[in-house]
Amino acid sequence: MNILKPADAPILGAPAPAIAFIILFLSVAFFCYVMFRRLDVLRKAAPDPRFSNISTRLLRALMYGFGQWRQPRYLGAGILHILLFAGFMILSLRSLTLIGRGFSPTFHIPFLTGSVGFAYESLKDYTVIVVLIVCLVAIVRRAVFHPKRYDHPGTAGHEYEAYVILGLVSALMITDMIHDGSAYRASGVCGEYHWFPAAAFASVFMPSNDPATLNFLHVGGYWAHILFFFGLLNYLPISKHFHVITAIPNVFFSNLNKGTIKPVRYGTVDWMELDQCGVSDLTGFTWKHILDFYSCADCGRCSDNCPANTVGRALSPKMISVKARDYAYENFPVFDKTSKDPAHEKRLVGDIITEQEIWACTTCGACEAECPIFIEYIDKIVDMRRYLIDRGEVPQSLQKPLQQIKKKGNAYGAMKSKRAAWTKDLEEFQVHILAEGEHSDLLFFVDSCGSFDPRIQEIAKSFARIMARNKLDFAILGQEENDSGNEVRRLGEEGLFEQVSGRNIEAFKARNFEEIVAFDPHAFNAIKNDYPEPFKVIHSSQLIYRLLSHGVMSLNGEYLGGRVVTYHDPCYLGRHNGIYEEPRRVLKSIPGIQYQEMTRSFSRSFCCSGGGLLLWYENEEEKERMGERRVKMAMEIGAQVIVTACPFCLINIEDAIKTTGNEGKIEVIDLVELIDRSTS
Amino acid sequence: MENIYVLAEHRKGVIRDTTWEAIAAGRKLSSELGVELTCILLSANAAMAETLSTEAPRVMVVENPIFETMNSEAIIKTLKEVLKPSGSYVLLMGASNAILDFAPGLSVALDAALATDCFAAEVRNGKLFASRQMYSYKINSLVSFKDSERVVLTIRAGSFPYAPSDAVKGAIENVACPIDPTSLRKRFIKYVEAEKGDVDIASADIIVSVGRGIGDEPDLDVFQSLADTMGGVLACSRPIVDKNLLPKFHQVGTSGVEVKPKVYLALGISGAFQHLGGIKGSPLLVAVNKDPRAPIFRVASYGIVGDLNEVVPVLNEKIKSLKG
Amino acid sequence: MNIIVCMKWTPDTSEADLTVSTTAKDIKKDDLDYDMNDWDRFAIEEAAQIKEKVGGKVTVVSLAPEESEDMLRECLARGADEAFQIWSDQMEGGDGYAMASVLSQFIKGRPHDLILTGTLAEDDGAGQLGGMLAAMLDIPSATLVSKIEIKDQKASFVRELEGGLYESMEMDLPCLIAVATGLNEPRFVSIRAVRKVTSIEIPNVGIDEIGIDVGKVGQSGARVEIEQVSLPPEGEGAEIIKGKPEEAAARLAEILKEKGAIG
Ligand SMILES: Cc1cc2nc3c(=O)[nH]c(=O)nc-3n(C[C@H](O)[C@H](O)[C@H](O)COP(=O)(O)OP(=O)(O)OC[C@H]3O[C@@H](n4cnc5c(N)ncnc54)[C@H](O)[C@@H]3O)c2cc1C
Ligand SMILES: Cc1cc2nc3c(=O)[nH]c(=O)nc-3n(C[C@H](O)[C@H](O)[C@H](O)COP(=O)(O)OP(=O)(O)OC[C@H]3O[C@@H](n4cnc5c(N)ncnc54)[C@H](O)[C@@H]3O)c2cc1C
Ligand code: SF4
Ligand code: SF4
Repeated sequence: MNILKPADAPILGAPAPAIAFIILFLSVAFFCYVMFRRLDVLRKAAPDPRFSNISTRLLRALMYGFGQWRQPRYLGAGILHILLFAGFMILSLRSLTLIGRGFSPTFHIPFLTGSVGFAYESLKDYTVIVVLIVCLVAIVRRAVFHPKRYDHPGTAGHEYEAYVILGLVSALMITDMIHDGSAYRASGVCGEYHWFPAAAFASVFMPSNDPATLNFLHVGGYWAHILFFFGLLNYLPISKHFHVITAIPNVFFSNLNKGTIKPVRYGTVDWMELDQCGVSDLTGFTWKHILDFYSCADCGRCSDNCPANTVGRALSPKMISVKARDYAYENFPVFDKTSKDPAHEKRLVGDIITEQEIWACTTCGACEAECPIFIEYIDKIVDMRRYLIDRGEVPQSLQKPLQQIKKKGNAYGAMKSKRAAWTKDLEEFQVHILAEGEHSDLLFFVDSCGSFDPRIQEIAKSFARIMARNKLDFAILGQEENDSGNEVRRLGEEGLFEQVSGRNIEAFKARNFEEIVAFDPHAFNAIKNDYPEPFKVIHSSQLIYRLLSHGVMSLNGEYLGGRVVTYHDPCYLGRHNGIYEEPRRVLKSIPGIQYQEMTRSFSRSFCCSGGGLLLWYENEEEKERMGERRVKMAMEIGAQVIVTACPFCLINIEDAIKTTGNEGKIEVIDLVELIDRSTS
Repeated sequence: MENIYVLAEHRKGVIRDTTWEAIAAGRKLSSELGVELTCILLSANAAMAETLSTEAPRVMVVENPIFETMNSEAIIKTLKEVLKPSGSYVLLMGASNAILDFAPGLSVALDAALATDCFAAEVRNGKLFASRQMYSYKINSLVSFKDSERVVLTIRAGSFPYAPSDAVKGAIENVACPIDPTSLRKRFIKYVEAEKGDVDIASADIIVSVGRGIGDEPDLDVFQSLADTMGGVLACSRPIVDKNLLPKFHQVGTSGVEVKPKVYLALGISGAFQHLGGIKGSPLLVAVNKDPRAPIFRVASYGIVGDLNEVVPVLNEKIKSLKG
Repeated sequence: MNIIVCMKWTPDTSEADLTVSTTAKDIKKDDLDYDMNDWDRFAIEEAAQIKEKVGGKVTVVSLAPEESEDMLRECLARGADEAFQIWSDQMEGGDGYAMASVLSQFIKGRPHDLILTGTLAEDDGAGQLGGMLAAMLDIPSATLVSKIEIKDQKASFVRELEGGLYESMEMDLPCLIAVATGLNEPRFVSIRAVRKVTSIEIPNVGIDEIGIDVGKVGQSGARVEIEQVSLPPEGEGAEIIKGKPEEAAARLAEILKEKGAIG
């Protein structure tokens, strides 16, 4: 039989193309209006230059957007998502075709004719099956296993959205199958089922000799599909599934400046003159940051990896996006224009996103490294901190060290004149203090921790010994050194950051050296990525690696004595600066080393709870210390020595070994100290 | 100086220990100067003078209900009148929080020189000297009083050991209350006990601090009792807070509370940098730790190497008995 | 409500190894960083909070040399409306009494409902200035105050006694309150907050402008004279009390008693 084409079947007397037109017009108009309203918010937001390096951006969009490169970091969910995404790409042509078929029974996309058309139709049919299965698996996964990362603590009614979407997508697939299955049944060709498995499968349930029913199914399936399609399209921008539309642009516009913090406001010459510093409300964020909120898929990978979230602090990065998006939808609604009295409104920063959340972040970057669509959190958190700092709302425990840095250039409150005092313990040689105009090959930036914390002074001494033993020409700044400002900046005190970094830059410029070397990744990061003037700076692990590869240094395995060793990637060395390999290569060149990788390593490394000023900050909600978690992770793989390359990781982990009662069973040591002890 | 006066401090009807130590200081100066010591009592109950009269050769009493508590305005105004006839003198008082409330104002009212919180006082060649500390107890300073006719000194607790001398039978002299209490601009309302929970360790002078050395299931009452006996508060190191044994605001340290006590008793605390970083000034630091090499001993003034479970109960009993 | 806050500019000696100056009358201060007396941070915060609640004007005054300007600017950033710096060379060598005389002369000439000071200064630690000043102005005062409420021309407050006991009291305005640390949570002052108040002028007032007799200030106005300062004898490490636990504990109790360490 010849099946009745939807375009040929009038509906309640009205010609189908007219109905198709009305549906298309209304849907597209509504969609455009909603999009306009959504994007209008971005127009009100703070500026953000994201149009540089177009080629890099395109590449990113290709790789991470279309290529879904980060998805398989969660293997199961990742594969499901890749299949779904591929399905969407394939089926988008099908949708266009179907829309066209409402107007003309023979409509097709220009190049999809002949054998290409046939191949596409077949591929589409397979895709429909795959997508349907993926949806069912996803529904079962959510309903039966409900992974914790999909939860929305503290907000209502978000869980159902996923079901709505999965349901809509399933409905699209099923109506497509009904539409095609009825035609398949009517055409009577049965040998081609392997080309059109979905249609063939659907046809099994249909009567073979009932043209009326088949026509009804064909036409009815079509219109149902069209309605579901436009329903879905319009549901996207009012739900969390906005990401279907915004994710790829979001990847395209993602942050290319790793390791640093955005300026207070882009395009402002003197931010100090602004009426307000930092972000207190939605439109205080940059347009890209609001796009981030829209784009978040609620997948929860960020929070799943967030150390603050893991140990029970108030912070969950995903919920920042969810709450901000809810706030945006509520305060910039699609229709209701009568704005409510702002005085009775909850403030976004302070009430909805609480101070506890804002201070709980260690800026470790685990969330950003994980997010499949490059949503940023650190800059937002710092922007909100800037606002709190500006209002003077700073936890008391952080005020003292900040004030000390302001007055004395170090958080320890120690006198400037004692900054080089640690060198007095070195008996074998004297550490040179570089005077203005003098030259040395290396400028050793000790930073406040190395200068004043007795435990970290030991690392400074070890490092000085290594350099002296290898006859490197190095010197320190002594009194003229100020705190690097890495944490100061990340706590949102931009003015103080400018003060300390400015003093360091002045000191650098007044002296001659080839490169700066630091064993503290925080200082290394600040000088490399935050300082407005370029200085060549390397990390101690890179210097040691260089010495080893030049063959000027040889190591022995005596100190390790056959113990099992693992390496903890410090956030500011690994994630923020991509230095993963040098420390490992250095370790692996220790003869006889027994090296084991922890499950969470490289970009998945678990933050020790942060360095710098965060040593002064304590979070009362946390149930377990991050360092303790880390020690357990190391114990799980049977490690007896944790090597790290950051003084703060060392302090936190060393303390955690004690508090978990593992003294004597496991030891933590800085790479620099280990190398010092492993050279004869 | 023609006279030496000691102002008695009382609270809730009882003469406070600060008075006895001021009397001890007064006795020393009175023998050095060769003048008589007079004790002044401003009280709602003149009978309290009896106990004083066994210690001082002369007691002046002003009785009035307003002196139920140590109301600074009432005391300043009264003493101004009572001491008007006296020529030159030294007035001694304990350096307590109640006395801190009026000593400076009193010195102005009496047109006297003032030295607070003195740990020593002596007369050399007829000239009075006092010793006190500056810069958070890091520096001792010896001061004199130019040609002041009148000097007010407040005496730091523990500086002048007091021994009862029942030998004296002082004369008690009643003085009419020279002020009208209804005209006062400052009024006492009531005493408030701090709830056990909300002690403020930041401003405490005496701190008993416990660390991980107290074990996993300690009986905190033992340490609280010691703190109570010493008139101090209970604080701790971070592991104690981690174990939920004490609330966070009891934690001393860089990420806890910064304290500036006069006395810090560290029990089972190793002396980590982050802990010591929260102790400012230079308190009398006493450590009890079973490890003789614990870093805390490097900064402590006194130490006992031993098990705190054996030391603390004895210490508590002994202090109780010393307090009498 | 006119609130006047007295600020002391003190050297930070917490991390310094102090040495006695050549005259032996003071310590060497060249290397020391000066800053707001920690207690006074709470005083200015309290003033700002009272102003936020009941309105009024906050005036800060410090008897300190010009270098203290940063501190006064910080006070403006903390919520003060105006700040005065009073210094003349003749004020050198003044004790608490001499300083209070200057302050009282200055304050007499301006409206004041509430004067706030810290209880102690970190350097001299005499805890005397507040009470003296109040006596000179003939207004009631209280020290070690850990809670303040202003209502109906009265200040209700709580002041700290020893061992967890407090007394709740009230005073008629005008009055002087010397605050204890911890009565509030001082706000944070960012670099920008200080920059924002750079345009406010901080007048330098000389004693001639205050109209006080030169004989009453500085060394000549002082009633106390420092004869000599010295470092207390310091033992290397702890003196370990030997003996069986009970004996050692008993000995320790005696030492504590001798040192006045029992409240
Ligand atoms: C970022 C960061 C911030 C920190 N902030 C703080 C802070 O603010 N405050 C703080 O206190 N800590 C802080 N710490 C922890 C600090 O590093 C130490 O781990 C902690 O102070 C140790 O506490 P403790 O001395 O009680 O325990 P330990 O170091 O374990 O010492 C216990 C001591 O008790 C002794 N002992 C054991 N049994 C007995 C017994 N029966 N009798 C007598 N002695 C006994 C032992 O010899 C030992 O010296 C911080 C750590 C980090 C990493
Ligand atoms: C012999 C002698 C010589 C001295 N010479 C000098 C000198 O040359 N230069 C010098 O600066 N000091 C000098 N001092 C210190 C001087 O005593 C103090 O400035 C003054 O006594 C404040 O008293 P205090 O330290 O006891 O403060 P406290 O009474 O302990 O302070 C309590 C509060 O009073 C207020 N306060 C204290 N001082 C000031 C001030 N200067 N301005 C505004 N408010 C204040 C603050 O609110 C403070 O919190 C000298 C002291 C002596 C005994
Ligand atoms: S930076 Fe680290 S601590 Fe902060 S939100 Fe991201 S994962 Fe959590
Ligand atoms: S921010 Fe990224 S990782 Fe986090 S929930 Fe949203 S999409 Fe997922």
